[in-house]
Amino acid sequence: MWLGIWLAAIGLVLGIAIGFNVPLVFPQAYGKYMGLAVLAALDSVFGGVRASMEGRFDNAIFLSGFFSNALLAAGLVFIGDRLGVELYTAAIVAFGVRLFQNLGTIRRHLLKK
Amino acid sequence: MAPRYVSITLVALILGLMLAVQFRTTNKEVEPTAPRDRAHELTVELKNLAEERARLEAEAEDLERKLSRARQGYAQAKETLEGEVEKAAVIAGLTPVTGPGVRVLVATGTQTQGALFTVRDEDLLKLVNELRAAGAEALSINGERLISTSEIRLAGSFINVNTRKITPPYEILAVGDPAALESSLEIKGGLVETLRDWGMMVTVESMDKVRIPAYKGTLRYEYARPVREAA
Repeated sequence: MWLGIWLAAIGLVLGIAIGFNVPLVFPQAYGKYMGLAVLAALDSVFGGVRASMEGRFDNAIFLSGFFSNALLAAGLVFIGDRLGVELYTAAIVAFGVRLFQNLGTIRRHLLKK
Repeated sequence: MAPRYVSITLVALILGLMLAVQFRTTNKEVEPTAPRDRAHELTVELKNLAEERARLEAEAEDLERKLSRARQGYAQAKETLEGEVEKAAVIAGLTPVTGPGVRVLVATGTQTQGALFTVRDEDLLKLVNELRAAGAEALSINGERLISTSEIRLAGSFINVNTRKITPPYEILAVGDPAALESSLEIKGGLVETLRDWGMMVTVESMDKVRIPAYKGTLRYEYARPVREAA
């Protein structure tokens, strides 16, 4: 359990360090999709934390959820923009609600201990 | 248990990477590209400019047409002016002219033929006067074109025309209606008969083509100025 948390923290710090140092940047026009992908990824991560707290963490589900959620969220919003449908707001609301639900569940699990 | 930690590390790494990149992107560290409103603005501007360009092209075409018309007008005016100049030159006697006319030869008769007088300036003047009255358009005496300022005047023992000495026999060329010119001279009791009576040898010849040279001297008008009527 603690090993996982430590590994997660190390990975996060390493990722942030790399992200701030690589010269790779996205054009501002695509920042919107990137932001949504980040939101989806966060949701997946909190979902994973919650699942592990509930003792039903599945590695395959966690990994596939993380990548497919991020890519699908960004891709759908991109397609929506091309079609003239504001899917961005819908995605934000959906992921936001799930995010807070996951956070709430995690809080409860922490408090129940 | 191992794949679980690997995946957690991997996910955390990617999440951190995305967060950092997104943070930088949002904080305008990158060169901002044209936002949508700006693109729309530029599209409108492009459309306006295209319209203006089309309008200017039409205007240029119109001006081109006007210019070519003006050029045409200029060419016509030039032609007219050149025609006028030529006409004026003919009238002034500055160009050689040719046309039908008469040739009058005047010579002093020899004594045996009973000559009374030599040919005087007055005789030539009278002949010229007569030819002019009959409608002669251009005249010359011994190759000297008669213009508005020409004189025929006795100077010593010679006759001067255009201040040049001429010697007998005198040849007067005149362009005009040959029949009218000839008859005005040869009329009964006319000038030629009188001159012949005085013993001069005068021959009048109708010609299909008479060539009269141009005035060779210079024209100087020191005092005369054209009068321009005030409109």
